[in-house]
Amino acid sequence: MYGRIFIAPWVFGFIVYFALPLFTAVYYTLTKIYIDQEGLHFEWVGLQNYLYAFLQDPDFTRNLVESILNIVYQVPIIVFFSLFIASILKNDFRGRTLMRAIFFLPVIISSGVVISVLKENVLNTFSSESTFLFQAEGLNAILVRAGLNVALVKAIVSTISQIFDLTWKSGVQILLLLSALHAIPDSMYEAASIEGATGWEKFWKITFPLISPSFMLSIIYSIIDYFTDYSNKVMRMIVTTANQGKFEYSTTISITYFVAVMIIILIVNALLSRRTFYMV
Amino acid sequence: MKFSIPKINQTKLANQSLLVISRILRAIFLLGMTYVLLYPVLFLASNAFSDYMDKLDPTVIWIPKHPTLKNFILADQVIGFASSIWKTLTMMVPSVLIQVVVSLFVGYGFARFKFKERELLFSFLIFTIIVPVQTIIIPLYVHFRFFNFWGLGNFLALHTGEPLTFNLLNTNWPFYILSAFGVGIRSGLYIFMARQFFRGMPVELEEAAWVDGCGPFRTFFTIMVPNVGSIVIVITLFSIVWHWNDYFLSVMFFVEEYPLTVAVTVLQDRLSVLTQNIRPEDMALAQSAVLEAACFVVIVPLLILYIFAQRYFTESITRTGIVG
Repeated sequence: MYGRIFIAPWVFGFIVYFALPLFTAVYYTLTKIYIDQEGLHFEWVGLQNYLYAFLQDPDFTRNLVESILNIVYQVPIIVFFSLFIASILKNDFRGRTLMRAIFFLPVIISSGVVISVLKENVLNTFSSESTFLFQAEGLNAILVRAGLNVALVKAIVSTISQIFDLTWKSGVQILLLLSALHAIPDSMYEAASIEGATGWEKFWKITFPLISPSFMLSIIYSIIDYFTDYSNKVMRMIVTTANQGKFEYSTTISITYFVAVMIIILIVNALLSRRTFYMV
Repeated sequence: MKFSIPKINQTKLANQSLLVISRILRAIFLLGMTYVLLYPVLFLASNAFSDYMDKLDPTVIWIPKHPTLKNFILADQVIGFASSIWKTLTMMVPSVLIQVVVSLFVGYGFARFKFKERELLFSFLIFTIIVPVQTIIIPLYVHFRFFNFWGLGNFLALHTGEPLTFNLLNTNWPFYILSAFGVGIRSGLYIFMARQFFRGMPVELEEAAWVDGCGPFRTFFTIMVPNVGSIVIVITLFSIVWHWNDYFLSVMFFVEEYPLTVAVTVLQDRLSVLTQNIRPEDMALAQSAVLEAACFVVIVPLLILYIFAQRYFTESITRTGIVG
């Protein structure tokens, strides 16, 4: 009974500022909105907004597919990179506190505006200052001449040229995984060592299963984070169409986009939930 | 026996050299990452304080030859740092305070009390963390544009004949209201963190209070709240950071006077006005310097906060654990 009173503010907020807006948003997408002094007027148009988005808008489907493809190949890189960094930062070494402080810097400077300015201005000079070897074109040429598959080289080079992006996007994930790593009791590793397990076995048999809920969480966080990124093209479309007063179309885009991302999350969840291990 | 002793030493030696090599590799890797992470910040600082002429001068690398505040003054002409920072602060400070109190309150409810629909509601809470605010922003915008006290305005209309609505856009009220009902900027996450924290606290304290006849609210305010130290700091810090960095809600709810982050994007559009008297070939450089000065102003308060509170960001998050 008292519990209900404690969570009452949130329940009210959830209904008024989450559930209702969500249904209203879906309703908006089925209408055409007119605005005048008295407020908003709606005209029922059925699925017209969705049809426009998928069949007529030249940008939407292209941007949507592009964002989804980017999610599919960027998220694994971000998450494994975060896991790598987290397991380094977990160990005790001199300067660990300083290194942690530096790696969490992206969490602090997470303002999309600043990041996009940084990307545009800083990254240009970043690549031009370094030598030919570290430039994308230089590396590309070297690897192709070394006889590697062109598609593979492209994947490698695009990952390397995005290293700035990756490090700046993995702050929160490192935080999540690090706290999960710290939650594993040392006694487990000791027992495994006594049984003669190697470091590799310890990682896959102890560490990975125990951090798998956080691993899952950081995958979902990465997807959402990419989804709501300021520089994301679909995101830009949502803001610009809303600023142009096309509220119904802006909502249509965001609902469609969200459903697409939800489907991705559900697929990921279905694939990984059997491998996720909860220690209770 | 005779041969086994050097053999052991050999493997020891191999192990030790492996350890040293791995340490060196780790140091190199971490140095490289430090470079990637610190470079933008240092670059920003260096450019913000230097005349754009210095960028053309190859002998200038990090420390400007002509240190100047010109970029800040130019950016200030468009942004009005004082007013936009004030705007951010008036939006942020009450909102953060409300958010922290509400998160603790609701989190305690989720952590300590059992009722039938708790698990269902908690899964809804997780859902609100996952669904980005962008999906529901337009209805929220409309709600605050024609704010009628959750229908009370329409109810009054039965008597007065005219519905009572307020335009809350361009005020800070949308942020306060959203925070008060636990649906503000990332409120769901803070409720989740508070719940995890309360679940980890020993029940005995509360049981003792209950036995002594303390009601649940008194228990919460007199027993639990004084003991929440670290989690309050963590939630407050994250809340400050995300309010300060917020772009999307601010750009939607403010129309004329913008908080700092939105002001920077406004500056981005008006850069060409600022650099009229500069040679066209240097224009791009001068413009980016002004923009970088503005970005520098955005990140410096957070950097200062971070330097002082770094310990809480990194250490207490690992102790309290935001993971289930």
